[in-house]
Amino acid sequence: MARQGGKAAAGRAAHPAALSVLSVLALLSLWEWAAGGGWVREAFFPRPSSVVAQFVVLVRDGTLASHLSATLTRVAWAFLVAALPGVAVGLTMGVWRGAREALDPLFAFVYPIPSVLFLPLAAFVLGRGEPARVLTSAVTSFFLVAANTLTGVRQLDRGVLEAAVHYGATGHRLFFKVLLPGSLPWIFTGLRLGLGFALIVVVAVEMVGAEQGLGSLLWLSWQTLKVRDMYVTLLVIGFLGLGATYGLERVRERLLPWQPRVEVRR
Amino acid sequence: MTGAAARQTLRAVRVDARSLAAAGILVAGWEFLPRRGLLNPAYFPPASQVVAALAEGLSAGELLPHVAATVSRLLVAFFLAALPGLGVGVAMGLSGTVRRVADPYVALLYPIPKVALLPLMLILFGVGERAFVLTGALTAFFQIVVNTMDGIRQVDPTLVEVGRNYGATRFRLFWKVVLPAALPGILTGLRLGLGLTLVTVVAVEFAIAKSGLGHVVWGSWQTLTTPRMYAAFVAVGLLGLLLTRGLKRLQDRLLAWQTSVDVW
Repeated sequence: MARQGGKAAAGRAAHPAALSVLSVLALLSLWEWAAGGGWVREAFFPRPSSVVAQFVVLVRDGTLASHLSATLTRVAWAFLVAALPGVAVGLTMGVWRGAREALDPLFAFVYPIPSVLFLPLAAFVLGRGEPARVLTSAVTSFFLVAANTLTGVRQLDRGVLEAAVHYGATGHRLFFKVLLPGSLPWIFTGLRLGLGFALIVVVAVEMVGAEQGLGSLLWLSWQTLKVRDMYVTLLVIGFLGLGATYGLERVRERLLPWQPRVEVRR
Repeated sequence: MTGAAARQTLRAVRVDARSLAAAGILVAGWEFLPRRGLLNPAYFPPASQVVAALAEGLSAGELLPHVAATVSRLLVAFFLAALPGLGVGVAMGLSGTVRRVADPYVALLYPIPKVALLPLMLILFGVGERAFVLTGALTAFFQIVVNTMDGIRQVDPTLVEVGRNYGATRFRLFWKVVLPAALPGILTGLRLGLGLTLVTVVAVEFAIAKSGLGHVVWGSWQTLTTPRMYAAFVAVGLLGLLLTRGLKRLQDRLLAWQTSVDVW
């Protein structure tokens, strides 16, 4: 809150979402009117109503459902493949300095490489097929999860750790009762970012090499110049991204209501 | 004081030694496993071949144009996005009205994979540089908007209050109080924006462009010239390392009073 004038206070008194809703309605009707009147080319910017109509068509004939389920399945697998080792490696690096110092330069080098580039590598190992696509989509998410988990362990309050040790917590008790709960908020942040990134890479991978999935539907709609299909697909992907981000945030709020939101990216 | 400094140096040396050892083991494995036939050398050529391909590509100038293509796309996209991104971010941070009007679009478009916007750009602008660069620019734009807005909104209200009590005008309040306080968030947005734009640009090159490091990886994959593929891979890695670590260091230098938590 940088400015708190009287005008802003008055604006806040009205329903806060009203302006957002108005803004969307205004843009959509302007678009509808401009496209209908030929002010913008419908070949590029089809009327919103016709996009909605196309959405209904694609839902009815099952096209959207089959592509959506292909994408969701890949995202789920990629997320799993990234999350479990990511948390494990992050925790290991957090408690074991040797691992941290050995892996740090390697990770710093590999992490910024865009995941799509791993597709050829994954295909060498696993053959051109579904496992290669999933593995490719998991790479960046793995690093995000590991990085956040590592930070979570590292930022633990020394006092808490020492108290636990003094009260005789060792081994798995120290791990499960102190280390893990203490770093959970960070782990969740890593999972949230990782899920978002898995979606990004899955769509990219589908664009360059898959027969099914929202990314390939997008690519196909470009090649066949079906602009309405493209807008429908983009909308679905947008809401997926929205859901991935805010859905996990809700889960975190439910599970860790006492913890504030924390974040580290790169 | 000197003892502490010496200890710190010693520690840094030990860290470097460990890192070097780990990297050495990795490179040695990469060299010998393919040579012994434990890894298929057609797919995983020994490290020395990759280094040779990289050196040859850079000196013979075969790889250089692709590096230049990627870097120039990256920079053009970033600078196209930076000013509008900062402007919209500041406006959304300062004014609740602007924020409420723009929020639905940012909320929907920010989490969208920007590569997904490539087909739309291809339809709007045809297959060519404009479409490639704009797809990259959209990536940077939304990252910068979101971080700038957050940076400004997280400015401590007390600071603003104090500034106002000392009689600062709105203009001065913005330049002297709000902007410096929001600078860490803004710089983070610029840095993340540049890094993510590299991801998008390379993905675009991988998918459709006929030049750039992404295209080299794709092309060498199709023709199975794997040393060249890994050479491009390493080049992208170095570029990314430069962007993430280098800019991170620059940010820490610029904002010496601020320690940021960041990994990789």
